[in-house]
Amino acid sequence: MPVKHAHAYSNGHVYGNTFSISPHRFQPRAQPALRWRRQLVVRILAIAFVSAIILLMIFPSFRYFLLPSIGLSSLLRTTLDLPNVRQYDLGHFQGSARGWERGERILLCAPLRDAETNLPLFFDHLRNFTYPHHLIDLAFLVSDSKDRTLLTLVESLEKIQADPNPAIPYGEISVFEKDFGQKVQQDVTNRHGFAAQASRRKLMAQARNWLLSAALQPYHTWVYWRDVDVLTAPATILEDLMRHNKDVIVPNVWRPLPDWLGGEQPYDLNSWQESETALALADTLDEDAVIVEGYAEYATWRPHLAYLRDPYGDPDVEMEIDGVGGVSILAKAKVFRSGVHFPAFSFEKHAETEGFGKMAKRMKFSVIGLPHYTIWHLYEPSADDQQHMEEMEKERKKAEAAAKAAEEEKKRLNDGWELKKEQWEQDKKEIKNKAIQDQVVHKPDDKLVGGDTGPLAHVGEGSETGQEEAAVNTRSEIF
Amino acid sequence: MASRSLRRSNPITLVLALMLVLGFMLFILTPDKSDPIPKTVTPARSRKPPAVQRYHMNTLKATASPISNQEKVIILTPLAKFYDEYWTNLLKLNYPRELVELGFIIPKGREGNLALSKLQDVVHKVQTGKKKDQFAKVTILRQDFDSPVPQNEKDRHALSAQKARRAAMSKARNSLLFSVLRPDIAWVLWLDADIIETPPTLIQDLASHDKAVIVPNCFQRYKEGGVSKIRPYDYNSWHDSNDALKMAGTMGKDDIILEGYREMATWRLLMTGEYKEHGSVHDETKLDGVGGTALLVKAEVHRDGAMFPPFPFYHLIETEGFAKMARRLGYQPYGLPNYLVYHYNE
Repeated sequence: MPVKHAHAYSNGHVYGNTFSISPHRFQPRAQPALRWRRQLVVRILAIAFVSAIILLMIFPSFRYFLLPSIGLSSLLRTTLDLPNVRQYDLGHFQGSARGWERGERILLCAPLRDAETNLPLFFDHLRNFTYPHHLIDLAFLVSDSKDRTLLTLVESLEKIQADPNPAIPYGEISVFEKDFGQKVQQDVTNRHGFAAQASRRKLMAQARNWLLSAALQPYHTWVYWRDVDVLTAPATILEDLMRHNKDVIVPNVWRPLPDWLGGEQPYDLNSWQESETALALADTLDEDAVIVEGYAEYATWRPHLAYLRDPYGDPDVEMEIDGVGGVSILAKAKVFRSGVHFPAFSFEKHAETEGFGKMAKRMKFSVIGLPHYTIWHLYEPSADDQQHMEEMEKERKKAEAAAKAAEEEKKRLNDGWELKKEQWEQDKKEIKNKAIQDQVVHKPDDKLVGGDTGPLAHVGEGSETGQEEAAVNTRSEIF
Repeated sequence: MASRSLRRSNPITLVLALMLVLGFMLFILTPDKSDPIPKTVTPARSRKPPAVQRYHMNTLKATASPISNQEKVIILTPLAKFYDEYWTNLLKLNYPRELVELGFIIPKGREGNLALSKLQDVVHKVQTGKKKDQFAKVTILRQDFDSPVPQNEKDRHALSAQKARRAAMSKARNSLLFSVLRPDIAWVLWLDADIIETPPTLIQDLASHDKAVIVPNCFQRYKEGGVSKIRPYDYNSWHDSNDALKMAGTMGKDDIILEGYREMATWRLLMTGEYKEHGSVHDETKLDGVGGTALLVKAEVHRDGAMFPPFPFYHLIETEGFAKMARRLGYQPYGLPNYLVYHYNE
């Protein structure tokens, strides 16, 4: 038998026949036709691969089509797209200076009690806001009301949602009904009496907290608190406040007064900066005591936002404050999420919105007031004022009657003498008219269309025009 | 020629090339994991305007018999780590599911991502299952701030790290609470992610006491010499002591008192010490501080403003601060010393 060389390596080592596995066995070459076909397949695969990658680079979403088609759908994360499961990354709802461009949602909160008379005014303001309405959710809490607040509110809301102009209707609208057993009457004299303040403000705080906790959703970026009895405010107020990009920000609040009371007056004294005197005072007080601003009982010597107003000052000037007033507060939703609320107990000797400001400061949020950016609160005459005004009205009527009598007397005297002159004048006019009529051919009268029917002039249609004018005035004063 | 070059090259080179290609494919095909929750799209203006929703909150009640009154409960869990035992136990609770909502908040970061994907899987499984077994609603939130300290057992309990850790925990709890508390909810059950064993009737049992704030005793199972034993775990439920109050009086504004540290002897009477092995599970005790491992709260307490202070509130923080705030608002917290829930043993 000849020696087999097939199984030998070059070093001369020879395997036995026991192993049949060998790399040195002869293999026939592939058929040229088969090889050609394989090359074609390889080329097609390569082209498909490269084009798939290019597609993926241009359109990243292509992977959602590609992966399932090649049986790799498990690579895709199962998205929890179920009706009863919601997922939110709170990092997406932090707030920026130009929220209207990023579609940031605002929750507008308004606590209401016996507010029927002021609702029409409030709804005029609602129609006017320039912030995109579909990005604003409205939330109302109606508590302890004896008038038709709730009915009027719901009717007005349904009307605004059914508005044919697509820019008018708002986002989600919630109306909460909850009574807290309010004992204090809501008229001006009672409301602002010193003794009633602490307990009244604790109840107000409770109402605000119920409203906020029920209405705040994970996707809200801003929360705007607005009282319904604001008389005039710029329609751009949301953007104006948002531009400052602060955690909590309030404008200055004044109110117009009748001339005999001086024309105007600071209204909201709850926006202030803390003072040493007030801190010392706070230390001497009982745990449950509440310091209320604007009353002689507590002299705090705090710098108030309201008193620092300069009508011609720069509306963008900011001032650090510690207590805030609740007439118009814009705050980032994350402030409320991290737990800041309106204390319905004495928090560092303050309650409600002032306590809110204090608590926000305690959690190191920025709390800012704008001393020269002013909105105007409705003037409701107090009992003293009303009495005074009645007397003034009586005097005015008396004076008017006297003047009228004097006028008539004068007229009677004049008329007797001037009769002839009048007759002569009239005749002269008639002759002139006749002459003109003969000359002039009848012209069609062209009616004037357009002019000042700009968007602004339309916005508040159906509202009192006086209101509209006032709003424009304030705006021009601010910019 | 492709076939010839393939045959000539070293198999190792081929394997490496293949790995590279596969790795590249994986990279390019896998969706962006850094953002597991997509940004919600704001509704377009063209959509039909939503109708006015009215909620009657005067009729909302939280009573001793919640099931017969159809009272809604929301179970809230700050979830840093996902334990299967927690989920199994949660599913064992026999309160009617159509009245139960779940709310989770998950911290940022890698560990959070892991917990989130596990949670998504189990939630998906339950919510696509039998209608009867589905929860009324599940909300999963991602925290918007970083948690300061790593969540391992040793660091977590270091005294110095406690304040920052518990402040972050408070913020997480508040963010969750105020985002998901809808107007129809009557009760809030706080259940920590490491509570792995409770009686299945937990909600009904706690609610039956009809207290504004009520907390069971939190223990831990462990093995010693092959024998299963239990030991106290949550020291945050306590009755105040004169020593602690005196200590608070001498402290700076931003200092906090913590329970369970040798450096700080408060001599407070702890609820864990009141546990009697054969005592009645219905025994109640008035508390001044509460722990949050398992805690049932009437929703009105939170709505009035009681939250978890992330700052020292009367030198207390988080759940203990919450108990103090609830007391300031006129609600008395209670504890059940003989009603036990069990914490995970690390």
